[in-house]
Amino acid sequence: MPSAPVTTAAISVRGLTKRFGSFTAVDGIDFDVARGEIFGFLGPNGAGKTTAIRMLTGTLAASGGTALVLGDDVGVEPEKVKRRIGYMSQKFALFEDMTVDENLRFYAGVYDLDPERFAAQRAYVLEMADLVGRENELTRNLSVGWKQRLALGAATIHEPELLFLDEPTSGVDPVARRHFWDLLYELAGRGVTLFVTTHYMDEASHCNRLAFIYRGRLIAEGSPQVIRTKYMGERIVEIETDAPGKALTLLEADPEVHEAYLSGATLHAVVSQDASAEELAGRLRTAGINDARAYCIDPSIEDVFVHLVGKQREGDAS
Amino acid sequence: MNPRRVRLLIWKEFTQLRRDPLLLRLLFLMPILQLVMFGYVIGADVKNLKTAVVDLDRSATSRAIAQSFESSGYFRVVARPADERAVRELLDHGDAAVAIVIPEGTALRLERGERTPIGIVVDGADSRISSTASGYSAEILSEFNRRRIAAQGLTLDGPGIDARVRVAYNPSLRQINTMIPSLIAFVLLISTMSIMSQSVVRERERGTLEQMFVTPISRADYLVGKVTPYMITSSIQMTTVAIVGRFWFRVPFNGQAVVVLTGLLLFMFTAVGLGLLISLVSRTRTQAQQTVMFIMIPSMVLSGFIFPIESMPPAIVPLTYLIPLRYAVVVMRSSFVKGSGFEDLFWPLLAMAAFSVLIFGIAVTRFSKRLAD
Repeated sequence: MPSAPVTTAAISVRGLTKRFGSFTAVDGIDFDVARGEIFGFLGPNGAGKTTAIRMLTGTLAASGGTALVLGDDVGVEPEKVKRRIGYMSQKFALFEDMTVDENLRFYAGVYDLDPERFAAQRAYVLEMADLVGRENELTRNLSVGWKQRLALGAATIHEPELLFLDEPTSGVDPVARRHFWDLLYELAGRGVTLFVTTHYMDEASHCNRLAFIYRGRLIAEGSPQVIRTKYMGERIVEIETDAPGKALTLLEADPEVHEAYLSGATLHAVVSQDASAEELAGRLRTAGINDARAYCIDPSIEDVFVHLVGKQREGDAS
Repeated sequence: MNPRRVRLLIWKEFTQLRRDPLLLRLLFLMPILQLVMFGYVIGADVKNLKTAVVDLDRSATSRAIAQSFESSGYFRVVARPADERAVRELLDHGDAAVAIVIPEGTALRLERGERTPIGIVVDGADSRISSTASGYSAEILSEFNRRRIAAQGLTLDGPGIDARVRVAYNPSLRQINTMIPSLIAFVLLISTMSIMSQSVVRERERGTLEQMFVTPISRADYLVGKVTPYMITSSIQMTTVAIVGRFWFRVPFNGQAVVVLTGLLLFMFTAVGLGLLISLVSRTRTQAQQTVMFIMIPSMVLSGFIFPIESMPPAIVPLTYLIPLRYAVVVMRSSFVKGSGFEDLFWPLLAMAAFSVLIFGIAVTRFSKRLAD
């Protein structure tokens, strides 16, 4: 039996469900997001991330369950919630045929900012997005990094207590992504709760807490540290070789290896806690991979993610 | 609904419109282009028909007959072949659309008080030209006959040229007088439908629609803020058509402004509703434009805007009742030409009201539901 929703939390979700016809996009999820937290909502495409966000932001009615957002039931009082939250999507939904200033003016007007507050917020956003002097430029002429920061500025012009970010960094270069995360930390430092979906695993480690959603269900939840240790009963062996393709085939056939996959330039093999990396490397060398080197590593978020998804698939198949 | 937010949305819409020079040009060029097309090409009366005169009689009377054709303005004599055999070739080559054959002995027979036939050969390839040409010919010949008889002090029952076809052609009732009033409704329909659907689909494509509904903007705010600017632009377009029609094409207005405005307002809701419905079924702007075309063709053909409903096959006629433009055409025409009032136009106006409630109602309901899913 799930516990009662927590009214002091930024988000408290119990049994939240969304069905589209016979398809269940979100299947009775429970979680809490504490105020001031950076909460990472992870999952492959089509797992239900966006559907969950749309219910939490009050744009989509839930089929079941409750969601308290900043203490208010978003299903009952979406308008009250909408005033206090911000939302930024992967598409940087700025009006491309309007200038930087016009975009800010529009969103300030939407949230009924008075002129003094608008002036202050505008100055802050222009500074933050590095757009001072480019106020009258059309948004479509800005490059991706600037657009992204302007979109963040527009989404936070009313200083929301809670900000939803739906894959905010997809399609952005690594430098701009790093810069963007600095801005997010700054917001979090000011006490803003951040709810971020992403499929960049390196970004997941920037979060205070994570939840994995897969096929509409939460399959893991906790701090990155907890995720890395609690959900992984096995050991990860990293293998370096110049023949990863051949090595992967061998690993998949190895009786001690439960799972094997490419991770960057290396291979990862999931083995039992008592298995030895050196013996595994030896077997690979015997099989003809002469340069194979293997060592145990701490599982990354990505390892846990791949592992959990694999386990779910097996469970669904049987 | 929050008036401040609606104002903000209207400002946003006009700002974006201002930045779209293509759309802006289209908004003003489209009515002008349609006026030229419909006003000068389709609505124009058939004039200056290329005519061949075969005068086999070569008398003063026969020359007078030929002259009366030429001076009518509808016929322009381009050839005077010596015999009838040349006529076929002239028509075949398109050098002439009409041939008038005055047989030998016409003057003689008329003087004797006998009936005499005059041959009118028309090119049947273009039914519009052939029917107008035979109508005009009959009219010209009977007019010639009347003058001849009057000049001789005889009564109308007297003998004369055999002009059995009598077409009630009223030269003051120009085609354009009925074309321009319907064009006002047509421009309203096409332009509102396409701009409405384009602008909503664009907003969805870019994700700004999604963004706006996470803010306190309500569905009502959005709808009113979206619909109002395009009602304003289509009103400007209609006014352009009306002014050019009234003062350039000299289309008389015999009706009451309040009747016309009521009809147009009802029709505007239908057009806006159709635009919204199109935006719901179209994923991309190209699809939206194609859907507009899909509605435009039956509207043009079945509404009586270009082809008279009376001349449609009986099996097709019931379909015309499903075309909202049909009623708008009736209201605009009757009001402009005949000066019909609310009582005369009760049924078409009622049909328009029903269509606007139905289409606009469905559109708004579906639109809100779509946003909720």
